[in-house]
Amino acid sequence: MKTRKILHADCDCFFAAVEMRDNPSLRDVPMAIGGSVERRGVISTCNYPARAFGVHSAMPTARALRLCPHLILLPGNFDLYRSVSQQIQAIFHELTSLVEPLSLDEAFLDVTEVDRFRGSATWMARWLKEESLRRTGITLSVGAAPAKYLAKIASDWEKPDGLFVIAPHQVDTFVRQLPVKRLHGVGPANAAKLDEMGIVTCEDLRECSLDTLIARFGKFGYRLHELSRGIDHREIKIERERKSISAETTYQHDLPDLEHCQSALPALLQRLEERMQRHGHPAIDKLFVKVRFEDFSLTTLETSGQRIEAGTFANLLSQAWQRASRPVRLLGVGVRLTPADRQRQLALPL
Amino acid sequence: MKFSISREALLRPLALVAGVVERRQTLPVLSNVLLDVREEGLSLTGTDLEVELIGRTMPSQVEEQGAATVPARKLMDICKSLPDQSEITFALEEGRAVLRSGRSRFTLSTLPVAEFPNIEDTQGSIELSLPRGTLKHLIDATSFAMAQQDVRYYLNGMLLELRSNLVRTVATDGHRLAVCSRSADIEVEPAQKLIIPRKGVLELVRLLDDSDEPVSLTLGASHVRAHTGDFTFTSKLVDGKFPDYERVVPRGGDKVFIAERAQLRQVLSRTSILSNEKYRGVRLQLEEGNLQVMANNPEQEEAEENVEIEYTGASLEIGFNVSYLIDVLNVLDEDRVQMTLADPNSSALLEEPGGGDAMYVVMPMRL
Repeated sequence: MKTRKILHADCDCFFAAVEMRDNPSLRDVPMAIGGSVERRGVISTCNYPARAFGVHSAMPTARALRLCPHLILLPGNFDLYRSVSQQIQAIFHELTSLVEPLSLDEAFLDVTEVDRFRGSATWMARWLKEESLRRTGITLSVGAAPAKYLAKIASDWEKPDGLFVIAPHQVDTFVRQLPVKRLHGVGPANAAKLDEMGIVTCEDLRECSLDTLIARFGKFGYRLHELSRGIDHREIKIERERKSISAETTYQHDLPDLEHCQSALPALLQRLEERMQRHGHPAIDKLFVKVRFEDFSLTTLETSGQRIEAGTFANLLSQAWQRASRPVRLLGVGVRLTPADRQRQLALPL
Repeated sequence: MKFSISREALLRPLALVAGVVERRQTLPVLSNVLLDVREEGLSLTGTDLEVELIGRTMPSQVEEQGAATVPARKLMDICKSLPDQSEITFALEEGRAVLRSGRSRFTLSTLPVAEFPNIEDTQGSIELSLPRGTLKHLIDATSFAMAQQDVRYYLNGMLLELRSNLVRTVATDGHRLAVCSRSADIEVEPAQKLIIPRKGVLELVRLLDDSDEPVSLTLGASHVRAHTGDFTFTSKLVDGKFPDYERVVPRGGDKVFIAERAQLRQVLSRTSILSNEKYRGVRLQLEEGNLQVMANNPEQEEAEENVEIEYTGASLEIGFNVSYLIDVLNVLDEDRVQMTLADPNSSALLEEPGGGDAMYVVMPMRL
C-alpha cells in the first residue's frame, strides 16, 4: 500500500476566534462562549487568556467564573460560526475532495494523490493556514502524518497556529516516545489501568504482548497494539452519515412535574422541526425523548415512527418521566434517521 | 347452557375463529370466543373489532340452549390436547364454564355475553357469488405483497376490484406490486373497489379451498361480508384510495428473458445465504444465454451462481432485494418465468412467459 498523507486541520479556539476577529477588544482579555450560570450552562470554547486561568471547554460556567471572575461570557452566534466554517471547508475542498469534517472546526484531509505543491504535505499545510487566515481571519493548526490518529496528534502538537509534520521515516521514533495518554481512546480510566501496568509511553506499550492487552482491554487492546506501532488503517470518510437529529434544553429552573414537562414540549418540537428542515427532511426511523432529572440521572425512550407527531412525543415523555417521577433538569426530543443503505431500495412510483 | 359435542366437530371452527382473536387485547372480552347454542346448532364468534368470524357446527346433543363467552386460546388448547374422538360436554354453572370429557374437567372463567361486541349488520347493497377457488387463487397470488404497518395505511391491505365478468386483486408495499385478475360470472355495475385490511385477507383465505363451491360476498359501504358454508366472515374496509396499478406496471422494458422457475428460485435462495441479512441485496448480471447471480455481506463472504436462460440482447447489471424475487417465484404456478427489464433504476416485470393472469412489478436496489 502506498504511504498515505493525511492532514488534520483544527481551528484554534474557533468560536472564540470568530468573536475576537469581529471585536478585537476581546483579544487580550479572558473570554468564552457558553451558557449562562442562571441557565446552568457550560463553556463551549474559550480564548487563550481564559485558558491561562484554567478555564476549558465543557466546564460548567459557574466553575469557570469562580476560576476567572472577570471572564467575558458570550452566548454565541452559531449561524455565523457555521458560515465561517463553510468558508474554511471550501478551502479544504480546493485542495482535495477527500475531506472528512469532524465538526464545525475540524477535518481530516487525504492528500495522498494531490500533485500540487509538488506533493509536499508540509507546503499544503502551510497553504491551508495562509488561505484560512487571509480569507476568514481564523488561524488553523495543521498536522501532517501517514495515519489519521498521528495527524490529529500532530495538529495539537504546536497549537495554536501550529504546523507539525510527522514524516513516514519519523513515525517510529515519534510514536516510541509518545505518552499513551495522547492516544485516542485512552481517557482517565484506561490511562490509570495502563499506569498500573507500568506503561507510560508507546515504547512500553509495545513491550506488552497482544494477548495481555486483549485480556486487559478487550477489543481496544488490539487497537492499542496497533496504535503503539504507528498503525491506523482507517480511511477518510467523506460523508459522515448523520444518525440522528435532536433538540434539547437545560431549564433555568427545574420543571417540577410532568405537566410542566408537557408544556415545554411544543417549543422543543418546533426547534426539532427547524433542524429537520435544515437537513432536508431525511427519512425518520425512530422517535425518542431524553430526560435528565434533577439528580442528573438520565433516561431515554424511543419508539419507531416515520413522522414527528406531538402525540407520540407526549406519550414517550410521560412514560419516560414516570421512571423517576421527579423534577426535570433537561428535556430533549429527537429522531433517529433511516440508515442510508436501507434507502437504496428504490420505491415504486405510486 | 348445556350441550355435548365431539372434539372433531368443534376443533376446526374453533381454530379458525380463535385465529381472529388477538393475543393482546384492549378489551378483556375480545380475548374470548362467544359460544351460542340453539336448536339449529352451535355458533362460535371471534372478533378484534375489525374482523369478525362466525363458525357453525352441530353439537351431538343440546340439553339447554344459551350463550357464554370463554377465553378463546385456552379453550382451543384444551380441545386440541384432548384425545381424538373425545366427547366434550360443556355447561354453564354459576357463571363459570365447565368442560368435561372422560375423566377430565376444566372450569373456565366467563365474561357477560352482553359485553361481546358484534360488528353491526352490513347494509348490504351488492350481493354476488364467486367460486371459492377463484378468490383463493387471487388472494394467494397477491397477498404476500401487502404492506405491514405502513404509514400509508391504505397499503396495509389488498384491493379487491369487482367489475362485470372480472375480479382483480392488487397488493403493494411501495417496493413491489402484485396484481392478478380472473374472469368471473358476475354482474357489477358500476365496478366496485374495496380495500380489505391485511388481517382480514389472511383470515378470509383460511376459509377458502380450491373448489368451485360458491363464496357469497355482501359489499357494504364500510364492510364486506363473506359466506362459505359454515362460516360468516365480516371485515371492516380500509377507507382510502388505493394506488392505480396500471401506472406502476412498466411498459418500456426491452430486455426480456425466460428462466426455469424452480431452478431460478433455488439459485436465488442459495445466493441469498450470503447476502446482507438486513438489506438482502443480490446483483444480477444478464448476458446472452446466462444469468449470473452474486451476493456478498459485510463479512466479505461471497456467493456466485450462474443459471442458463433464454436471452439475446444487451447485457445489464441490476440489483434486487432477493426476498422480493423469491416471493414472486413462490406464487407463480407456471414452470417457467419471464422477466422484463429496462435499466438498473427501473422496475422489473415478472410473469408467465407471454403473460398470464398475474403480473409482478419489483423495484431494484442500488448496489
